[in-house]
This record gives sequence, structure tokens and C-alpha cells, in this order.
Amino acid sequence: MKKKNTAKEKNIAVSVDNLHITYRGLKKTSIRASWKKIAQKVEVFEALKGVSFEIEEGKILGIIGQNGAGKSTMLRAIAGIFSPDKGTINLHGNSISLLSIGVGFNKKLTGKENIYLSGMLLGFSEDEIAKKEKEIIDFADIGDFIHKPVKTYSSGMYSKLAFAITAILETDIMLIDEVLSVGDAKFQEKSYNKMKELISDEHRTVIIVSHSLGTIKELCDEVIWLEKGEIVMKGSASEVIPKYEEFMSA
Amino acid sequence: MNRFFHNIKKYYKYAIRSAKAELKSEVADSYLNWLWWIIEPICFMLIYTFVFGVIFKNNTPFFASFVFIGLTAWEFFNRMITGSVKLIINNRDLVTKVYIPKYILLLAKSFTYLFKMGISLVITFGLMIFQGVSFSWHIIFIIPVFIVLYILSFGMGMILMHFGVTLNDLGNLTNIGLRMIFYLSGIFYNINERLKGRLKFFLLRVNPIAFCMNELRKVMLNGKLPSFEGLLVWLIIGVILCMIGVHVIHKNENSYAKVI
Repeated sequence: MKKKNTAKEKNIAVSVDNLHITYRGLKKTSIRASWKKIAQKVEVFEALKGVSFEIEEGKILGIIGQNGAGKSTMLRAIAGIFSPDKGTINLHGNSISLLSIGVGFNKKLTGKENIYLSGMLLGFSEDEIAKKEKEIIDFADIGDFIHKPVKTYSSGMYSKLAFAITAILETDIMLIDEVLSVGDAKFQEKSYNKMKELISDEHRTVIIVSHSLGTIKELCDEVIWLEKGEIVMKGSASEVIPKYEEFMSA
Repeated sequence: MNRFFHNIKKYYKYAIRSAKAELKSEVADSYLNWLWWIIEPICFMLIYTFVFGVIFKNNTPFFASFVFIGLTAWEFFNRMITGSVKLIINNRDLVTKVYIPKYILLLAKSFTYLFKMGISLVITFGLMIFQGVSFSWHIIFIIPVFIVLYILSFGMGMILMHFGVTLNDLGNLTNIGLRMIFYLSGIFYNINERLKGRLKFFLLRVNPIAFCMNELRKVMLNGKLPSFEGLLVWLIIGVILCMIGVHVIHKNENSYAKVI
């Protein structure tokens, strides 16, 4: 972990400043249509309108809001999949990953080969993955199927393996879009516990987007309430969630 | 450009692995397995040699080898261009979930195409031995020719990859363009013999594929030196195309996820 910030009391892991994201610019079109449209004004949809916040290292931030509030857009922007149209996102040199299932899987190849494919795509080196390979296979717990092509897996086994990869290959900052519940009841409990373990590591910074207020209440130190691309409220879970519930039932 | 080299260094291992994975999965389900990589080019060569050597009567010496050299270079270029247009859209899952420099996808693809070109080249050598072509040391000059061909295709590929994201029908346009280049590159006829004057001059100099094929045949079949100034010019053009491609992709790649 590289830390530039030497101030002892407060290590900021993520700073988001005046973040604007609009869906515009590139738009799917045909060659013919692009001739006509050059002079026309394109429709602009602002998904985020100037969001700013900071998270300290080791804290868990929850993001709540209605559908279309810009929650997932924000996560993807922090993960570097989108670029901000205005404003900045500073990760202070931390490694980051968006917890997503089965990225870059090739279904015709074995589970083992897919561990490497997916892991390298998440930015890990071959050696790092080799070190964790056994741990991943043990955690996924799918027996001999790890040597069989992924397409022969049941959907439960598929998600077990995919979850194991993202959960064992950890980064400094983890972004979670809906806490995952995959596999059978036994694995669900195991994966939930693993998530909690990952999340509560004191050096790991976590941002969780969820519609389950129970999960947010249980896990998060701080909560941001987003509405139509703007922050409505920011504070501790006990402050924000009652207000949000009030708003939703009104 | 620094960022480009840094990314290549960081991700080339992934590109190799992903290329291997793709090749493996390509043959995983078929009965003849990897034999297809050999059967396919040989059959194409037989078809072309029959049609253009026998039906259209062609007296070019070592005609089968002549055709095969052309096809080897052409197939690589064709695959690069066709492959790059829909590359981002075909990798939707990946592009919307993780950040990866987008030219890494093209790099991985190009490795699979290079592998296939390698097989094709080995078959060509076999064929040349079979036909009794006399090898000369000039054959080492296929290396710079292939490098130029690769850099050119990679540069064009990156640019097409970018426009392929937003223009739905770019594929149709490139298909027409490729068909035209296919017939104007002299894959199954000798531009030097069939055409004269301006047209020949024009085709061999303006069409990089015709140029590369012609140089390959010079060094492989005729034991001559390639045109170094020609190679240099196309190398410079290729590098410029790559720089434009890298620039365009760096500027826009983070918006691709919004579009697809």
C-alpha cells in the first residue's frame, strides 16, 4: 500500500470532488444519421451533478437512493470505468476493484484457467494469483469441477467460483454494487461472512451500494443518500436511514 | 505514448493468456480440433490455385506458393480489420465491468491472428520446398515486412475499433473496402505482369497490402532484396496511425461503457 498522506489522524482513501457525469458525447448512430446530426444538439442526461465527499481509510460507506439516482454510475466512475465529465476522483494511490461476478470468463475453459484470466483482468499479476490460487479453489469449494470447463457448471457453481475470485483477490478499496448472495444457503452464509470479514478489515475502505437498508445499517459507518444525481444527506447510518425511510414512505 | 508502453508492459501477459484461451476455446468442441488450423488454409489455397491457376490459366512460376504467400498476408490483415470493428461491442461484459486499456483487447486478438499467420507461413514453407523453390538468405527480410504489416494493421485496427463503438454500420463499409483491397492486392495474379504503367505504379505504392505481398514474394520466391525505402515509408505511416489510434482511444475509452 502506497500512502502519500502522512498525517496520522486522518488518512483519506478516496476523495471525490464536484463529480459530474453526463451521458452524451458518444452516441450510437449510423453513418447516414451522423451526417444529419452534426448540427443538431444532442440530448444530455446528467447522471451526477456535482457530488463531493471524502472517505477515510478503513471506513465503510453506504450509498442509498432510488433507482436512477446515479449510485451505480458513481461506483463505476470511482472504479475508473467511466471518466468524469467534470470534477476529480483521487484514490491516493490505492488499488481498487469493483466487485463483479465472472468478469472475462471464457466458458469453454476450465475453472482454473478462468481464475487466471479473471484475476489478471482485475489487475493482478500471474504470481500474485498463483499464490492465492489454492485459497480461491478451497473457498469456491466446487470439487473436481475446477478442472472442467465452466460451461458444465451449474449456475450456483459458476457464481461460487466467480465470487471466490473477487473475494480472495483483495484490493485496498472495494466497491460493492449490491451485497452478493450466491449459491446455496450454506454458501450464502459463507460468502456473507467472508464479505463481512473483508469489509471490516481496518485498512480496507469499502463503498457499498444497496437497496437493503438492513445491510447498510449493519455494515456501514457512514451513509450518503443520493437523489437525482445530487447528495441529499450525508452522515452516520442512524441519522440518514430514518430520514430516507420517512421520505420513501411519504 | 508513455502511458501506452506502460500499459502494454502491464497487460501483455494478460493479452497472451487471453489469446491462448481464445485459441483453445476455438477448437475445444470440434472433432478435428487444432487440425482445422491447418486444414482450413490448405483448402483455401487449393481452391484459389485451382480457380486461378487452372481455369484462368496463370503462368506465374510456383503459382501455388505465390498464392499462398499472398493469402497469408491478406488473411492477417483481413482478420485484424474485421475483428477490430466490433471488438468493443463484442466484449461488452468486460468493458462495462472493469477498466482495461482498450487496445489490450486488440493486442490479444492480434496474437491469435499472428498465431494463425504463423501456421500459414509454415505451410507456405512446406509448399515451397515441395515445389522446389530455391531458398536464398534474402528470406530473413520477411521479418521487417511482417513487422511493417503488423504495425499498419494495428494502427488501422485501433482507429476502426474506436469508430466501431459509435457507428453501427461501420462494418458494412469496411467489408466493401476489404473486398476492394482483396481484388486490388494481387493475391492470385501478379500485379507486375498483369498491369502496366500508372495503374501498376499506383496499386503497388498506395495499397500497403499489395506492397507487403509484393515484397514478401520478392524475398521468398525470387531471392531479391526488398525495397527498403518503401518499407521505411510504410513503417512511418504505420507508426503515425498507431499514435493517432492510441491518442483517440486514450481520449475516449472511458466513455465506451456509457454507449454500449
